[in-house]
Amino acid sequence: MSRGAFSAIGAAAALSIALTGCSSSSGPTTSTGASGTSGGNLVVGVTTDPDTLFPWKATQFQAVNVLTNIYGTLTEFDKDLNVVPGLAESWKPSEDGKTLTLTLRKGVTFSDGSAFDSKDVKASLDKIMDEATAAVARASLSSVKSVEAPDANTVVLHLNTPDAALPANLATVNMAMLSSDDTEEKLNTTPNGTGPFTLKKRVASQSITLARNDKYWGSEKPKLDGVEFRVIPDESSIVSAMQSGNVQLAVFNDPLVAQTAEGGGTITVAKTPQLNYHALQLNATHGELKDLNVRLAIQCAVDRKQVLDTAALGEGEVTGPITSPVFKSDPQQRPCPTRDLAKAAEYLGKAGKAGGLTIKTMVSQGEYATSVNEAQNLKAQLAEAKINLDLEVLESGAFVDRWVAGDFDAAVALNGGRPDPDGMYGRYFTSKGNLNKVAGYSSPELDKLFAEGKATADQAKRKEIYAKVSAELENNAAWIWLFTGYTYTGTTSQVKGFVPMASGSLQYLRTTTLG
Amino acid sequence: MRNRVVRRVAGVLGTLFGVAVFVFVMLRAIPGDQITAGLGTEAAALTPAQRVALEHYYGLDESLFTQFFSWLGNMFSGNFGYSARSQQSVLDLTLHSLPVTFELAVFSIVLALLIGVPLGMLAASRTNSPRDALGQVVSLGGLSIPAFLLATTLLSVLAASFGFNPNGQGFAGLLDDPLLNLQQMFLPALVLGFGIAAPIQRTTRTAVLEVRSNDFVRTARAKGVPPRRLQVRHVLGNALVPIVTMTGLQFGYLLGGAVVVEQVFSVPGIGRQVLLGIQQKEYAVVQSTVLVIALAFVIVNLLTDLLYRIIDPRVRAS
Amino acid sequence: MNALRKSPSSLIGGVVLALLAVVALLSYFGLLPHDPIAQNPPSRFLSPSGDHLFGTDQFGRDVFSRVAAGVGNSALIAVVAVAFSTVVGTLGGLVSGFYRGFADGAIGGVTNVLFAFPPLLLALSLASVFDRNWFTIAVAIAIVYVPIFIRVTRGPVLSLREIEYVKAATSTGQSRWMIMLRHVLPNITSIIVIQVALSLSWAVLTEASLSFLGLGTPPPAPSLGSMIFEARSLVFVAPWTLIAPGAVVVLLVVGLNLVGDGLRDTLDPRNRGKR
Repeated sequence: MSRGAFSAIGAAAALSIALTGCSSSSGPTTSTGASGTSGGNLVVGVTTDPDTLFPWKATQFQAVNVLTNIYGTLTEFDKDLNVVPGLAESWKPSEDGKTLTLTLRKGVTFSDGSAFDSKDVKASLDKIMDEATAAVARASLSSVKSVEAPDANTVVLHLNTPDAALPANLATVNMAMLSSDDTEEKLNTTPNGTGPFTLKKRVASQSITLARNDKYWGSEKPKLDGVEFRVIPDESSIVSAMQSGNVQLAVFNDPLVAQTAEGGGTITVAKTPQLNYHALQLNATHGELKDLNVRLAIQCAVDRKQVLDTAALGEGEVTGPITSPVFKSDPQQRPCPTRDLAKAAEYLGKAGKAGGLTIKTMVSQGEYATSVNEAQNLKAQLAEAKINLDLEVLESGAFVDRWVAGDFDAAVALNGGRPDPDGMYGRYFTSKGNLNKVAGYSSPELDKLFAEGKATADQAKRKEIYAKVSAELENNAAWIWLFTGYTYTGTTSQVKGFVPMASGSLQYLRTTTLG
Repeated sequence: MRNRVVRRVAGVLGTLFGVAVFVFVMLRAIPGDQITAGLGTEAAALTPAQRVALEHYYGLDESLFTQFFSWLGNMFSGNFGYSARSQQSVLDLTLHSLPVTFELAVFSIVLALLIGVPLGMLAASRTNSPRDALGQVVSLGGLSIPAFLLATTLLSVLAASFGFNPNGQGFAGLLDDPLLNLQQMFLPALVLGFGIAAPIQRTTRTAVLEVRSNDFVRTARAKGVPPRRLQVRHVLGNALVPIVTMTGLQFGYLLGGAVVVEQVFSVPGIGRQVLLGIQQKEYAVVQSTVLVIALAFVIVNLLTDLLYRIIDPRVRAS
Repeated sequence: MNALRKSPSSLIGGVVLALLAVVALLSYFGLLPHDPIAQNPPSRFLSPSGDHLFGTDQFGRDVFSRVAAGVGNSALIAVVAVAFSTVVGTLGGLVSGFYRGFADGAIGGVTNVLFAFPPLLLALSLASVFDRNWFTIAVAIAIVYVPIFIRVTRGPVLSLREIEYVKAATSTGQSRWMIMLRHVLPNITSIIVIQVALSLSWAVLTEASLSFLGLGTPPPAPSLGSMIFEARSLVFVAPWTLIAPGAVVVLLVVGLNLVGDGLRDTLDPRNRGKR
């Protein structure tokens, strides 16, 4: 789902843009009064405030976006989603790939002034792995046997098996490095991180305000004096607030709202292709969907472009399973790359269902904007192939409940993508994956391919392996992958230097200026 | 007399207890809990041990019986529970949001009275005339145009065309920045007030017609009381009872019923607090807030009753 | 019917409702120009024309046909909801007012609890408890209006109980249920009819508001509320998708209100003889 997506990525990356040595204006300006010099306070419009300030448990989009700016991680992603140094200056796997040695950056402090060192890293990783902490990123460390801190600036991870995905897994804010002295209770109210901003003020359900962290370790200091995340529950109302100049930046979900925003002329909307993907999830362990031919019939009966055009006004791209730019699947490489009703009928015949069949499909209302529209179009398209989607529209709580339990035959879902394909699908489509119950499909071939991918450090070889994974998923119609949408970042003309990311992350608020 | 007071108080307590049970049961009947609401689908990745840890953290591992009575007991000692989402006690949250909604309700009622009463009197002054028709059309509009439609239209048109959008700025408390606050409250209050003006206009019209047909008005008119004085002093004075009753009723509803308008205009009121609570499955927040709303509703009803006794000439005379 | 003839405004209301009813019936008998659910992606976002009176939406569906079907669905939800609350509420009011004592106390207690609960939040929570379909939405709305019917009927029943002929009937040994049905119920019908007319318009608006909060009638079956909700963000792309259902909702509610007012003016005993 969408929320998972953003937790996977995040944290701050240093982007070196030469500083044009102007001093920042002191004191906060009013929300509308962006001054000509750098500095000033940026107002970001958000539909809800963070549901937690504890980074290890944050999966909500808004929470991740705020915390990304407060906390630091060992590794980070740059704007193209390459893994780059963060709090760890460098890392090196051993010959056999069974240890990973990280060298930490020196002179980094937490916002309370205490120094950051290997003791904090060890404490953080140990706690994330401890089930009692209930950290959401625990599974990403499943290959880690133990953590050792030989000296203040070195950390050694001892692994069960080689894990090429580990550096990327360390880059999420769910892996934020906390001071070993801090507790969850304390951080819930007073965050203490190494990020470019610090928490200044919070008014529940109204706003959360960050101030620049002058002790930030990056070669380039953040320029804004502060950032206010202002809660405006209705996306259309955020557009109104931007048009009247009260809000300068916002990330929109709904392509229609984005179009409306752009139509007004005062707002520039940047489109970034997302890692998240829209899919019709099939549960291949349930009823008639156990039959590969039934799944292939569905695969062939869907015109993905039409779903995209009707449900999301064509705002996005048809996609295969893997969405990250480096490992991207080719959407043409699949059975029936274009809609083929004759073939669908043939598959149905092979399944002995020439007369048609009914599949219960759940869809959430309120979780994301296009869900119900996609379901409506899929229903209309599949009806022409004698496949009746019996839609159950659920309130998002009920949807999540049943999704988590794997209690569905088919589901229209927007799932979170990750930069590394192992992090993205290993947990779904391997027989031991912790989300395999939800994925409803696994095979010995996939188990083998994912294990290989994890053990391989060579990037070119990994690409080949994940292309095979992709083919395996499509040929077996494990799910019906539909399309990826865009992240829409709306800015007013005053906002300069912000770089939107495929993850929707706001980590580049640190390079942003108001001018 | 004392007996009656005791019975009334007992009735109120009974009602509140009923509301408490009802909201408690209903919340648990809604699918999902705070864990899935917080983590979304990532909750699927939790190991059983992690889930147990989280259930303990949110107090979901207690029996329903214990949950209910410890919550109710705590309420009596002024502990309304804690909102993990906002890291604040529910009491604090409510102390912020209740006054906001209260202000919005008062503002709306004032606007509704300003629209409804004159229109009602005007309409009654000559039935089946253009004035009457005007009143009817306005009140019909108030009854028929959905609040959310009016609210979204007003907001987007004013912001897009005139750049007027006080609600886009951070919410200002009445005491922090009264001028901005009143600007921010104006549109939501207008939308709500327009809706409430309708029943008030109608009540006024009917009441005025009824009073005018009474003998004492005819007597007063025969005695030569000037028309304006007659209208205000005698007619309106006597028509006040049903108007006050209607106003009280509407006010009570506004305390919990402004959700949609609070949502569109980003007013951090108590309705939104409940809505967010329901979405996040923060049981303590919803339970305690609904109980506060119910209590406020009951108090408003009591006050309306009291006011009614004070102004009703018949009750006064006896 | 007499009532309708006497007041011009309720006549207008009646005409409006009749028109909408015809349109809804057209959809019921499948006589619409287009299938309200069938999608035709190539003809997306056509502006209003002869073929598509109100244009088409993002799936290429005919907005006029959808509005027509939507009127039917919204009316169905409103009617079922109000019917439910009328039956349950009137029964509650009858029993409460006639039997007094324990039944009165119990029913009064439940009424007070439901009244003290914010109505929209009540409907919202009820709508999220059950699997969502048009019927559960109707029931959720109905539960909100039950206490109103109880309150409206209980008072008159209380006073009727003391009237001579009811007392006489009681003394002749007729069963209480018989008396309630024969002597009490007929005397409160006008009150109930007025309340029904007013509640219908509320029910239509409540369904629309629920849809606005994302908890209304599930698609693809159109209801006016869900159409407005879906079209809200299309307002600059294809304004007709919002204007058509919006205008029809207002029209429907206006019609219901006008007729309700007419009924009240003629049936309300307090108004009788004044004109």
